[in-house]
Amino acid sequence: MVSINYATREVSCKVVYYGPGLSGKTTNLQYVHQKVPPSTKGKLISLATDADRTLYFDFLPINIGAINGFAAKFQLYTVPGQVYYNATRKLVLRGVDGLVFVADSQPDKMDENIESLNNLKENLAEYGYKLDELPIVIQYNKQDLPNVLRPDQLRPVLNPRGWPEFGASATLGTGVFDTLKCILKLVLDKSKTGGTTTSPQRQTVSAPQSAMVEHETARPAEPVHTEIGRSQPVSEPALEPEVTPAAAMASEQPPDLVREPCLPTADSTDDDLSGPEDAGAPMKPQPEYVCQRDSVPPTAGSVGQGQPVKYRPFPGNTRDDEEQMRRQRPRDDIWQSRTPRPFGERSVPTSTTPAGAGGDYREITSTGQPRMAPSLRADKPRKKRSFFKRLFGLK
Amino acid sequence: MSDDSLIIYEEEIERIDSLLTKLLKGAEAKCALLVDKDGHLITRQGFTHSLDTTALAALLAGSFASTKEIARLVGETEFSVLFHQGKKDHIHMSLVGERSILAVIFDDRTTIGMVRLYAKESSDELGKIFSCMRDHDRHGRPEVSADFAATAGDKLDDIFKD
Repeated sequence: MVSINYATREVSCKVVYYGPGLSGKTTNLQYVHQKVPPSTKGKLISLATDADRTLYFDFLPINIGAINGFAAKFQLYTVPGQVYYNATRKLVLRGVDGLVFVADSQPDKMDENIESLNNLKENLAEYGYKLDELPIVIQYNKQDLPNVLRPDQLRPVLNPRGWPEFGASATLGTGVFDTLKCILKLVLDKSKTGGTTTSPQRQTVSAPQSAMVEHETARPAEPVHTEIGRSQPVSEPALEPEVTPAAAMASEQPPDLVREPCLPTADSTDDDLSGPEDAGAPMKPQPEYVCQRDSVPPTAGSVGQGQPVKYRPFPGNTRDDEEQMRRQRPRDDIWQSRTPRPFGERSVPTSTTPAGAGGDYREITSTGQPRMAPSLRADKPRKKRSFFKRLFGLK
Repeated sequence: MSDDSLIIYEEEIERIDSLLTKLLKGAEAKCALLVDKDGHLITRQGFTHSLDTTALAALLAGSFASTKEIARLVGETEFSVLFHQGKKDHIHMSLVGERSILAVIFDDRTTIGMVRLYAKESSDELGKIFSCMRDHDRHGRPEVSADFAATAGDKLDDIFKD
C-alpha cells in the first residue's frame, strides 16, 4: 500500500524479498546496502538468530531524493525463508507494494522454490492480494555456482506468468541492482495507474559470466504444455529433487521422463490462477506450481489425477535397465500422488527441531492448531498367550 | 493512486500534530509517533532528533503485527495496547482506528498510568480524524504528477549503478 504524505511531501512504498531459505534474500539487501551512496540509504536492520538466519525480517530504507517536489522512499524487507517461520513471513507481507522472488538456481533446491511460490500465493491470499495484481520480479540467484540451472531451464517451472526475470549472483552483486531497479519502477508505475499491473516486458539477464542482456518482446503468459512443446526438455538430473543417490539413478531413466509443472485439474482450478488480463490471448488456465513427472505429455485433465506412471522402454535399454526402472517405481508413485499441501502442514523431521525445543517439536498448522510430531514407535502385534497359560493365569 | 493507498493531506497532519503535542504536554512524555500498520511513519512529535524514526516505525509495526498473531493463538483478535519497559525509557503502544499505531516514548519523569490515560484519550480523537479522512471526498485533490514514475526511473538508473 503506497503511502503519500502531502505534509512531509513523501511517497513511501514497501518492497519484500521473498523466497526459500538460504536463497540469498538477505545477501541481496546487504549488497544494496554496501553499494548505494550513504545519502540514499538508511541503516540495515536485521532481526536474525545467532546463526545469522533471518528470524523476522531485514529492513533497509532507501530514499532516492526529491522528484517533482516529492521524496520517493522505499522500504526493502526480506522474509525468513525457513518453512517453520511461516507466521512471521506472512506478517511481513502486510501492505506490500512489490515483490522480488529470489529463487535458488541449484537443482536440488527446485522443490523448495516451488513450495515457496505456493506459500507466497497462500499468504498473499490471506491479505486479499493475487499474484497477478502485484508487481513481481523473479531473480534466479546463485548463477555463479557450478552446475546450476540456467534461467531458461527455470522459467517453465517458476515463471509461467511471464514476470520480469533476472539471473543473478547476490554475493558478487551481478543482477542485484537490475532486479531492484525493475521492481521499483514497476511499483511506481502501479502506484501511478492504481490498477492491476500489465504484463510487463520480459527481460532476461543471462548468467553473470556473460554480461549480455537479452530483451524479449512482451508475450502473454502461456500454459506450460505449450511451453513444454516449444522449449527444450529439461534434463532429468537437473531437476532431480534428491541430491544423491537419485541423481545417479536418474541418468538411467529414459529421456522422455521429464518433470514439468502440470496443468491444474478441473477441481483444483481457481480464479487465482487466471493469467494477466492484458495477455491478448483468451484466458487459459495457469499452471499450479507442482512438480510432476510423467512419460506422456501433460494434457488438461490427464495429469494430477492419480493415474499410474507409464514407462516407455528406451531403445537400447537392456533387461537390467528395465529392472532398475521397475525398482524405482514405488518412489515415482509417491511422487505422482503428491498433491500441494498447505505450507504449514508439512511435517518437519525432528532433526530440524529448533535449538532449545528439547526435541518436543510442536508444529503450528495453518489452521492454528498445534500438532505433535508423529510417534516413531512401531505398533507391534501382541503375542497371544497359550491356552494353558490363559487357563491358569500364568504369564 | 490506488484506492487502498494511505493519502494524508496537510490539514489532517496539522490536526494530528496538535493532538500529539497536547498528549506530550499532558503526559509529560518524550516523544510520540504515529505509525501505519504497514510500517510507514505518518507523523512524529517531541524529541525525535536522536531517533532513527524510519527504522523505529518499521520495528514498532513489526512488533505490533507479531503480537497480533500471538493474540490470535490465545483466542483474541488483537491486543490493543502494548507496553515495553526499559531501564530508563519505556514505550507505550496503542491501536488507533483500524490501521494505525500510536507509540509514546517516556521516561521516569512520568508514570505509565498518566501515559495510558492521555494515550487512550488521544487514540479516540485520532480515530475520529481517521474515520473523517476515510469518508472525506478525495476527488479534485492534487495528485502526484503523472511523470513522477518516469522521472523516478531515471533517477533510479543513476543511483543503482554497478
